[in-house]
Amino acid sequence: MNEHIIKKLQNIVGKQYVITKAEEMICYSYDGTFQRGLPAGVVFPATTREVAEIIGLANTEKIPVFPRGSGTGLSGGSIPQNGGLVLVLNRMNKIKEISKEDLLAVVEPGVITGDLHQAVENIGLFYPPDPASLKTCTMGGNIAENAGGPRAFKYGVTSDYVLGLEVITPTGEIMRTGGRTVKNVTGYDLKRLMTGSEGTLGVVTEITVRLVPKPKDKKTALVIFDSLDSAASTVAAIVTEGVIPATLELMDKLTIQCVEKNARLGLPLDAEAILLMEVDGSTVQVNEDIGIIEDICKRNKCRKIEIASTLEDREKLWKARRAVSSAIVQLKPTKISEDATVPRSKIPEMVRRLQEISKKYNIHLPVFGHAGDGNLHPNIIADKSDPEEMERVEKAVGEIFKAALDLGGTLSGEHGIGVMKKPYLKWEMGEVGLSYLKAIKNAVDPNNILNPGKIF
Amino acid sequence: MGDNCKDILNKCSRCGGCQAHCPLYSETGRESFVARGKIELLENLQSGNLDWNDSLAEIFSTCLLCGSCTENCPNGVRADKLIMSARKDLVTARGLPIIKRNIFQHLLKYNGRLNKAGRLLSVYQKSGLQKLMRASGILNMLPLDLGKKESLLPQIVSKSFRENLPGLNKLSNPRFKVAYFTGCVTNLVKPQVGYSLLKVLGANNVEVVIPEQFCCGIPAIASGDIETGRFLAEENIKQFVNLEVDYVIMDCATCLSTWLKYPELFANKEAFDLAKKVIDINRFLVEILDIKIFSKELGIKVTYHDPCHLKRTPSGRSSPRELLKRLSPSYEFEEMEVSDRCCGSAGSFNLTHYDLSQNVAQHKVKAILKSQANVVASSCPSCIMQLEHSLKKKNLDTPVKHTIELVADCHQ
Ligand SMILES: Cc1cc2nc3c(=O)[nH]c(=O)nc-3n(C[C@H](O)[C@H](O)[C@H](O)COP(=O)(O)OP(=O)(O)OC[C@H]3O[C@@H](n4cnc5c(N)ncnc54)[C@H](O)[C@@H]3O)c2cc1C
Ligand code: SF4
Ligand code: SF4
Repeated sequence: MNEHIIKKLQNIVGKQYVITKAEEMICYSYDGTFQRGLPAGVVFPATTREVAEIIGLANTEKIPVFPRGSGTGLSGGSIPQNGGLVLVLNRMNKIKEISKEDLLAVVEPGVITGDLHQAVENIGLFYPPDPASLKTCTMGGNIAENAGGPRAFKYGVTSDYVLGLEVITPTGEIMRTGGRTVKNVTGYDLKRLMTGSEGTLGVVTEITVRLVPKPKDKKTALVIFDSLDSAASTVAAIVTEGVIPATLELMDKLTIQCVEKNARLGLPLDAEAILLMEVDGSTVQVNEDIGIIEDICKRNKCRKIEIASTLEDREKLWKARRAVSSAIVQLKPTKISEDATVPRSKIPEMVRRLQEISKKYNIHLPVFGHAGDGNLHPNIIADKSDPEEMERVEKAVGEIFKAALDLGGTLSGEHGIGVMKKPYLKWEMGEVGLSYLKAIKNAVDPNNILNPGKIF
Repeated sequence: MGDNCKDILNKCSRCGGCQAHCPLYSETGRESFVARGKIELLENLQSGNLDWNDSLAEIFSTCLLCGSCTENCPNGVRADKLIMSARKDLVTARGLPIIKRNIFQHLLKYNGRLNKAGRLLSVYQKSGLQKLMRASGILNMLPLDLGKKESLLPQIVSKSFRENLPGLNKLSNPRFKVAYFTGCVTNLVKPQVGYSLLKVLGANNVEVVIPEQFCCGIPAIASGDIETGRFLAEENIKQFVNLEVDYVIMDCATCLSTWLKYPELFANKEAFDLAKKVIDINRFLVEILDIKIFSKELGIKVTYHDPCHLKRTPSGRSSPRELLKRLSPSYEFEEMEVSDRCCGSAGSFNLTHYDLSQNVAQHKVKAILKSQANVVASSCPSCIMQLEHSLKKKNLDTPVKHTIELVADCHQ
């Protein structure tokens, strides 16, 4: 990067907050995927004003800018493309306000999601979106990817909680959209447009989210099934009988076997599926719900059901689910997390298709995911140093997407398109949809400054 | 880099999970400080994209080796091991930095010579240390002002613990016979820890032998100078292997964890056999002796700091706490927040990266204050020195003691 631009950046944020050393920049060339791209500089602003000045400068000088939170993204969203400036927002990490009266929180984009959870739960409130990366990922990243989590089935995803945003436009102006009210229909719903825009339409510098009262009680059930179909019909029955669990996680056979081999929790190796369910709410409601669930599971011929109430016992049941990540990479080191999502009713069919794909391409494809919302998280486990296998992986990924779309689903439930799913976008959106997206992007970012090369 | 390390390297999915657990990332917010960034750099080194240079040397020296990342990694990546091995590669590629070379070569040389003379490590004694520091220009190389440097230099006792003692307290009919590996800090800076240990073991009918011994080798190993580390390990093994004892006792968590790694340095029977006998004093008192302590009611509130090197050994978290609880009603144990967070000492890290190290320590200081403890206990003399310094820096006079010192206080 040109000397005088570095000087200007240093003037904006201070010398120690601009990185141009090759070795340190390599540490900003990745995210949670195996994609890579080197920046020409990395800058760490501390205020909205600094962000605006940086983007203004970038727009004048035509330097691409790649916003970044914690770099946990799973679609390559924060990765630089041919140089450019990485804009890291983790210094902007203040929780500015938590209002019990208005039931909302105002935070800077670099606040870690888990930190917000703790802060609001300490005073009896609740911010439901719970991506599995919550101890690391930022609220800004959650907005940009419209992150979801296990609790999405009952509580929805990030966009269901965004009340207002402060955004730096791609030309460096400060814009506010939405506010502190649940109802707001003034103009286009830009906060919704921004949420999930993957850093291509603006840099989020302040976030106002809606909170809800913290549920008073919780119960957890771990249920073992001999057939995938009975697990699936259990899920269907639970929903039709009006129970909405806060989490409803499915683990398939391969996943169960991996977990048992590694963590030795006493899971049966011949089981076809495990459902992990958690209900929350008032004590009365929780007891009633768990009773209905137990009944449904038995009617659907589950092999075994365990129910836990205390935190300690619940944690024991969760152990199996938490052990999945480390267990499956023992098969092979490279994990490619997909998040193709299908309508709930199509879950059994999707699982079957995934098993076929796994056979056809001879790849490990354990499935464990959010059965409640159809976001199944097929994970391809491969070895990135084996080019022949990676070729098969690529083909398998294509087929997974096709299967999801065939069944009326979507390419991505929560990880975003980034660079990873770009080639498939047209399959879902068609030419018209794609040009609509591009038209919006061109209108607000005429110089293609913000996160170029992503989504399309 | 060995194949084993390559396999570990391959397992990292760049999920970023380590950010939430790395004390240096939480201070700096920079990827180059956390395991994930270092692993990416190692991969670049591996593929020939990068060569070792000054910036990389600095990046890889900036790690506490606290193992917090490893403990919490969902993919089982042993990042601290990788970083340690990277330091070894660095030394192979570029040699040791002068400052460390001086220290280690003195360590080696003096150990060797003094071994024959029957005395140890005079280099670390007051005049020797100062001379060494001056002669090697070490003080000038550290990025600190003189006042800070002086206040950080350990106050070396004029006569070392081991020099003051006979090598053996013979008992007629002991319950156990143990060998005591004192570690350098107890020997040269905190002899009161050693005296406390002897007092408690003596009172409980345990015979203690203190054989000739060397630095455990961790300063060298952690800096990538495996050769010196091996030399020291080998000498220690030689001194301890033929003793007829039930256990080898340690009061220093860092020495303990180094001894447990000796079999990795030497895959021989002696190293394995000894590693099986090595035990931390807290665990020995609780699990082996099942010590009963009859103390008077003082109600002194004590809290506990987990040394990184102890908490991941068997019973490493539970036995010091159990021991402290047995000191009631003299001492009343109170868990503090972030009790198992690294104190930032990490060998010479607190000298080479003073400000960062102190920032890490301030989280402990805050937690100690909040716990309202009258005294802080820990089980690693290095952590104790670091906590003492950081508390003093905030004008707090809360004493920091080894658990064994508190136990000894209750033995009248
Ligand atoms: C182990 C693991 C588990 C995960 N589990 C889940 C899950 O359950 N649910 C889920 O939805 N996701 C999950 N993810 C994906 C990821 O954590 C989320 O996408 C998260 O929202 C990314 O946040 P981040 O701060 O790391 O953002 P980054 O990865 O740094 O960036 C992500 C995108 O956001 C943009 N961005 C970041 N900050 C801003 C800002 N302030 N303004 C504008 N754009 C910005 C970036 O340009 C990029 O396009 C998981 C990831 C991992 C590694
Ligand atoms: S070291 Fe472990 S926690 Fe850190 S990025 Fe790699 S896999 Fe994730
Ligand atoms: S060992 Fe400690 S300091 Fe080093 S990278 Fe891991 S967590 Fe950070």
